[in-house]
Amino acid sequence: MTTSTNAALVAERQRRMDIAVGTLLLVGVLLSLGLIAAGLLWTDERTGRLWLDYPLAGMNLFQFALATARQAWNGQIGPTWMVSAGLIVLMLTPFLRVVASMLYFLAVLKDAKYTAFTLFVLLVLTWSLFLRS
Amino acid sequence: MLGLHTPPISFEVLFPLSLVAGCIGAMSGMGGGMILIPTLTLLGVDIKQAIAISILSVIATSSGSASAYVRDHITNLKVGMFLEMFTIVGALMGARLTLAASPRPLFITFGVVLMGSWVALLVAGHASWQGDQPQDRFSRWLELEGSYFDRAQQQQIDYHGRRAYWGAPMMYGAGLIAGLLGIGAGAVKVLIHDLVMGLPPKVSTTTSNLIIGVTALAGTSVYLAAGLITPGLAAPVVLGVVVGAFLGTRLLVRLTNQSVRRLFLGVLLVLAVEMIFRGVRGV
Repeated sequence: MTTSTNAALVAERQRRMDIAVGTLLLVGVLLSLGLIAAGLLWTDERTGRLWLDYPLAGMNLFQFALATARQAWNGQIGPTWMVSAGLIVLMLTPFLRVVASMLYFLAVLKDAKYTAFTLFVLLVLTWSLFLRS
Repeated sequence: MLGLHTPPISFEVLFPLSLVAGCIGAMSGMGGGMILIPTLTLLGVDIKQAIAISILSVIATSSGSASAYVRDHITNLKVGMFLEMFTIVGALMGARLTLAASPRPLFITFGVVLMGSWVALLVAGHASWQGDQPQDRFSRWLELEGSYFDRAQQQQIDYHGRRAYWGAPMMYGAGLIAGLLGIGAGAVKVLIHDLVMGLPPKVSTTTSNLIIGVTALAGTSVYLAAGLITPGLAAPVVLGVVVGAFLGTRLLVRLTNQSVRRLFLGVLLVLAVEMIFRGVRGV
């Protein structure tokens, strides 16, 4: 394969990656906003007011996500569950973007330097999401 | 966890206020947090909680706009990934500092940063791009280069990023400000990309947007663990800021640059003075 064909192949992969990352971000934000809006409207329908009052008691994101998943498993889906799920999706969106970027540098570009940089970002972010108060 | 009382502010108040903050933030390019945080504190929300809610909303606005920019193939992912290593560490440190600080220095710091933004907006616009310049060895090793098709100029723009050795520590500082004050600090990041690293304005703006989301997540994680993210406040604010930012970008094309500048300069100055005054008086 010639150098120019290689370059064109990498450029095409890069273009596809840009579209994939852009779509991931867009879907994440829209899904999270949809869940939050639905939760608020559901609250309004149940209580007659658009006000939610529940604390998150200093959980980290993974504890928060686990507690929310457990509620869904037990069939406790209500307005507060919708808002919590929306907030979790919102916070997971940039995290998943970093995961996608790492896979791209590792598997598509086979770029050891940028795989290492992205891995560092991913490790620091993961550590921060496990923080306790 | 910090024992905070969340004032019961109704959706009818929070949503429009956040919408206006998001709208002005998008029109000025400064982000919604600059307006949102002072406004929330005026409604009786603790400044640390206001910062926490604001940085959460930054994730939504930056991810929303980054999604469009990335698909336009202008964002430079390598520049973004390299600089994110520094901004996230800065954001974690900044958020930790906020948790440890008392409210008064936070009010004063916020006011001073607002005042700095006011001066920057008054004296400068985007510095004109100097064109493609020779790269230093470190930036070449980092492969900080790229090209994109500029629709306005109808031509392919090739560029090489420079001075990454200065850009990196400065981006740590930008991340620190973002985590400390709950803002995107996009203006600071764009300035570093433009003036220090020599990136074309479109690349610096779009890449900065990508970095802001991850940086904001790092800060949010600290505030979430501290119990400062309350869904009752967060839900209407996130919705309002995102809808406001969406409207702001559409409104921008209908308004003249001068009217936007004048409006934002006035709002920024009033809020800056008010925040410094409250910090000094200890309110």
